[in-house]
Amino acid sequence: MIPTPDLINLLADELTPVRRLRGPMTRAARWLLLASIVTVMLVVAHGVRSDFWRCLLDRSFVACTAASAATGICAAVAAFLLSLPDRSRAWALLPLPALAVWFSMIGYQCLTNWVVLDPDGIRLGEAVRCFSTLVMTSVPLTITILIMLRHSAPLRPVLATLTAGLSVSAITATAMSAIHNPDASIMVLAWNFGTVTAIIGVSGTIGRRFMGLAFARG
Amino acid sequence: MLPSSTSHSRVLSLGEAELTARSDRKVDWSILMERAQAGDAEAYRRVLAEIAPYIRSLAAKWCREPDEVEEIVQDTLLTIHAVRQTYDPARPFGPWLAAITKRRIADRLRRSGLRRQRETPLTREHETFPGTQANNPVGAPARRALGLAINRLPIGQRQAIELLKLREMSLKEAAATTGMSIAALKVATHRGLKALRKLLAGDEVR
Repeated sequence: MIPTPDLINLLADELTPVRRLRGPMTRAARWLLLASIVTVMLVVAHGVRSDFWRCLLDRSFVACTAASAATGICAAVAAFLLSLPDRSRAWALLPLPALAVWFSMIGYQCLTNWVVLDPDGIRLGEAVRCFSTLVMTSVPLTITILIMLRHSAPLRPVLATLTAGLSVSAITATAMSAIHNPDASIMVLAWNFGTVTAIIGVSGTIGRRFMGLAFARG
Repeated sequence: MLPSSTSHSRVLSLGEAELTARSDRKVDWSILMERAQAGDAEAYRRVLAEIAPYIRSLAAKWCREPDEVEEIVQDTLLTIHAVRQTYDPARPFGPWLAAITKRRIADRLRRSGLRRQRETPLTREHETFPGTQANNPVGAPARRALGLAINRLPIGQRQAIELLKLREMSLKEAAATTGMSIAALKVATHRGLKALRKLLAGDEVR
């Protein structure tokens, strides 16, 4: 261990100017803007589900989608707030009400439709398409939010990555509810329940290591 | 009434003065940190040197070991260096610094708690040497006294004690080795132990 005054001199000598982080709300808004761009691109690429406009009249569909969108937004705000040292950790509770509503409405149909057997032979079911869309949406969002939150590595890595993972899952679910065809599965969100767990688990376990790496590289 | 109220107001004003001084200092730190973010090395050196005793006093509340306290101070300074862009000069400096310090204290306590669970500190008793004699310097004189006392026993008793007690043979094995009957061995052991007790007690009295 070097003497503390020497360490202070060392740190002061290698000081470089840093750009101050913008406010957590601004940063959350920027990331959410990116997320909505990804969502719009996804919708443009896939086209909205055939009964999208009729679905908008279905109260439970609207409530479920609104709840998942609200979960995504609240979780993103919470993640950016939690990444700062002097904000209360109680912000982690922010997405919970919306999350409770969303989880209370999740269905399971998508999981049952991996392979379709019909007179034309065997082909991949809706679940495979569902999965590829899911990966295409959630991977870029996860990478960007983790990079934006990298400075939280030495502070609250687990809480920040958990809320970030939740936000990505909720936004992906929202995007998919707009494009997924109800003939195959009316509620895609069951799949996303698994994704929430997977992304939370993965970001919880590798998040710390990833952020530690980012921290080490400055 | 007057003196008491005067002393009370003095205490109050002292407290206020201290509080003002403390908040002034934190305002200073806030300004210095803002300059450090812009790359002012002197301001940075000053703020780090001034906050180090404050971190040390916070850490000392939780850790007794001076080395551990110093490690917390250095960990906190390194963390501040790594996350200095997260400080917003519009917000107070104190809570920002205290939050980072608390994280490092918690980390250190968790790590030392884990270490205590896994490891036992090495004491003099754990030190060991290859020679059997060297391992038990306290018991050595007693063992020598016992050896001498056994040598003073009549041959039958000495044999019985050596085979049954020191080499821990069974009665059957001892009977086979010596050619004595089991009953004779038992009697010899009993008498031998009695004689030893007498001899060793006599040694102690002397």
